Amino acid sequence: MTASLRRHPHSPAVLPLDDDDLLSEILLRLPPQPSSLPRASLICKSWRGLVSDPRFLHRFRRHHRRSPPILGSFVEKALSISFVPALDPPNRVPVGRFSLQCDDVGGFSLLNCRHGLVLIFLLKHNQVLVWDPISGDQHRIAVPPSFCVVTGRRTTGAVLRAGGDNHHFQVVLIGTYKEQHPRAIACIYSSETGIWGNLLSTLLPYEARSAYTGMACVLVGNCLYWVLIGESPRILEFDLDRQSLTLIHMPVDLYATNACHFSFMRVEGGVLSFLISSWDFNAQLWNMEKNCDGVVSWVLRTTIELDKLLSLKPDDGGPQLIIGFAEDNIAFFLLTKVGVFMVQLKSLQFKKLSKTNYLSHYHPFESVYTAGNSIPYTVPITETSRFSMSG
Amino acid sequence: MATREAGKKMIMLKSPDGMEFEVEEAVAMESQTIRKMIEDDCADTAILIPNINSKILSRVIEYCNKHVPTTGATGAAASDTVAPAALAEDLKIWDAEFIKVNRATRFNLIQAASYLNIKGLLDLTSQTTIDTISDNSLEEIRSFLSTKNDYLPEEEQTIRRENQWAFQ
Repeated sequence: MTASLRRHPHSPAVLPLDDDDLLSEILLRLPPQPSSLPRASLICKSWRGLVSDPRFLHRFRRHHRRSPPILGSFVEKALSISFVPALDPPNRVPVGRFSLQCDDVGGFSLLNCRHGLVLIFLLKHNQVLVWDPISGDQHRIAVPPSFCVVTGRRTTGAVLRAGGDNHHFQVVLIGTYKEQHPRAIACIYSSETGIWGNLLSTLLPYEARSAYTGMACVLVGNCLYWVLIGESPRILEFDLDRQSLTLIHMPVDLYATNACHFSFMRVEGGVLSFLISSWDFNAQLWNMEKNCDGVVSWVLRTTIELDKLLSLKPDDGGPQLIIGFAEDNIAFFLLTKVGVFMVQLKSLQFKKLSKTNYLSHYHPFESVYTAGNSIPYTVPITETSRFSMSG
Repeated sequence: MATREAGKKMIMLKSPDGMEFEVEEAVAMESQTIRKMIEDDCADTAILIPNINSKILSRVIEYCNKHVPTTGATGAAASDTVAPAALAEDLKIWDAEFIKVNRATRFNLIQAASYLNIKGLLDLTSQTTIDTISDNSLEEIRSFLSTKNDYLPEEEQTIRRENQWAFQ
């Protein structure tokens, strides 16, 4: 007996480009660069109709979610948040499209940037603000009382969308207390339930008692990592699945070496790395390994000669500060005396982003920019448009 | 076309122009559409594939043969002795050769991949089409795809103004 597949709803004579489903399947693979969709819109009216459809835009973001470009970085500077673009024209989206429209912010602290969202701690209001710079959406969430601003308490945090979920997000706050028996606390907010979970707490060694707020956390697998500073810095691991806090030792004793700065990295294969720059213009990359019992060890993967790479002269000396890192693009941002460089870890390709030598942390914004394309173009019903749409 | 091997269940695919292709069931099941039919017990021995002519269907089967994740009839699929990275590299090179076809064939393959729901083939054919045009000017893209610019000049200007930065 011969079974038959159902006939294709479209005639086989129709070319893929005349079939909206197939055409959108093809256009989905346009590069995730900001200029892709505006340019595709100009081909013809039916293309514009497709690439402005909210369902297409959702699929486009989803298709490229593992390879979003670094559009730029959010930088906390002079009591405001500014945007430093990383792309060249025609992909350089105007800075004005990334300005936070928010009244009565008061003092704030820019905590984290991930999965197209920005997390800001509004100190005056004891709230966190989750901002989607592309859609403009803002959510203000009151922090649990244990994280309210008081002297001696340091709060940092993370924002993320779990499992590629485009609708919901999670906020993780980490707080440390300078007291006789220092401890770290953590709490997760889910936008799906709209509530904060239980407060987790762990005692800290006195020599690593303060959350380091000068560097963002990194997400590796389902764990978030922060640095705790003191006489002997450690790494704090927060496992989102197990809801547990664990302390991890550093790859090297930062004070016994000539290290001048450090940063997390997330390298290929989803491995946690630690990048340490030294006063002699080198940067060492250490990868974390965990054995089956969960015991952590560090392996030196590579040493980068920053002076040779960036053609820095001896006069350009001074600390090479790693002021940010991009998780998806595996790049780090380096502040030198001559400016800020973005360096791709694998290829070691670099780009000078600014001439400033003002110390400020860079929070790279890695996202697929689809704003400005989301308003469907209504084709006027005229004889011309009818003809062109069918022909 | 696949040859019959001991212990392997075979299935017959028929194209509308009357050609028959005997393929291993595992190869045919690279198509999610066919997989569903087989799993729902809708296909005993033969399946008629409407819309896809024998020339395109044979290319689709060639692709599935290469990509089936067990040692297939071509003998070039997964094996214990080949490292996954080397295997992926081998497939990439093979794909690059496979897709060196004219525009009409590529479009037919896109239709077939979409209809038979073969994700890898749809990715390959669609991505190749995009890569071919992405560095071209708008006029070159229209010409390559035989698409007509149906905007009035003032409509085009309005759209350019909305996202002027993207056209610099």
